[in-house]
Amino acid sequence: MRADEATLARLMRMSQAGDKQAYAALLEACQRWLRGYYSRRIAPAQLDDLVQETLIALHTKRASWDATRPFLPWLAAIARYRWVDHLRRLYRADEHELHEELMGTDEEPAIAARISLDRLLDLLPPAQERAIALVKIEGLSIAEASAMTGQSESLVKVNIHRGLKKLSAMIEKE
Amino acid sequence: MTMQKSSDALIAELVSELEPVRPLRFGEGLALALAAAGVTVVAVVGLFGLRAEWLAGHLDPMQLVATGLFLGLALAATVAVVVMSRPQVGSDHGGWRWAAAMAGLLPLAGAIVALGRGAGTMSPELMRHGAECLAGGTVSSLLVFALLVLWLRRGAPTSPERAGLVAGVAAGAFGIFAASLHCPDNDIVHIGLWHSAVVVATGLLGRVIVPRLIRW
Repeated sequence: MRADEATLARLMRMSQAGDKQAYAALLEACQRWLRGYYSRRIAPAQLDDLVQETLIALHTKRASWDATRPFLPWLAAIARYRWVDHLRRLYRADEHELHEELMGTDEEPAIAARISLDRLLDLLPPAQERAIALVKIEGLSIAEASAMTGQSESLVKVNIHRGLKKLSAMIEKE
Repeated sequence: MTMQKSSDALIAELVSELEPVRPLRFGEGLALALAAAGVTVVAVVGLFGLRAEWLAGHLDPMQLVATGLFLGLALAATVAVVVMSRPQVGSDHGGWRWAAAMAGLLPLAGAIVALGRGAGTMSPELMRHGAECLAGGTVSSLLVFALLVLWLRRGAPTSPERAGLVAGVAAGAFGIFAASLHCPDNDIVHIGLWHSAVVVATGLLGRVIVPRLIRW
């Protein structure tokens, strides 16, 4: 099913009323949308976990969507919150390559651009964005990121810390 | 393919758990907070009585302006909390800061006047009365505070720290608004320092305590 705003909003309205069939279709469509949304912004090995965590958040917080408001900006806020939380938990990903086939196709480019993760990352100073991208998304070690950026190891850590703090304060920013 | 399978299993699980939910309405959140504030006002006036001055038909402009500023801050911060409970990329909830900046004139003016007056403003008697208002205002904020925290727990605030701070500010501003209906003091030093201290204290309390209660 095509994950467009109107369809998702309709399915969500029915889901809030308890329609299980609509909910199954909604979760399926959201799962696909989230895979596109997170692609290139999370190490591939972590993608499945993150999508599932976000589906659970959608489930537990489904009352926080109001049918008078658009659905995708709500889902994006939930997704960004889970994403920042995920980046905060330190991990060193085993896989570095990014799966190009996971890249999302933007069916509604105007909305997609405003609610994307890139838009959020672009709000950070370049040094912080780079440190987060290298260590938290691509899975490099602090030492490797330090060598690549020319920032000292402690500066890489500081930039990650400050950047994540900023991201978590700007989750709803367009 | 295992990944796909585990996602399918999760979706099946979530679907089987689905129950109808009542969406969080903006009007409902605001109405509940106003109702809690109303109950607090009735309790303060009922237990301690309305300002004697008002009962005698005299209205002090300074006191009216200050009480109005706290009410304005309480409303703006409550609206922000209710908006924060329903996340949306593109949503703005910074409006309460303007109300806070305006109410911030009260402690500023109080401090300037206190400095001009010198040591007399810090007499034990005045300090004791100030501490009473600080305690009374803080206790009066608890009902609204509890309600806003419950509302945030139902919702999905994306910045629990900010939501906690603003919930504390909203509750404290309602609390001191209610306490002001009893407090007989019209002095700007008392209002600016001690009444504002309630909002600062509950704001800090909200910032420290609330995030762990509403994180999701």
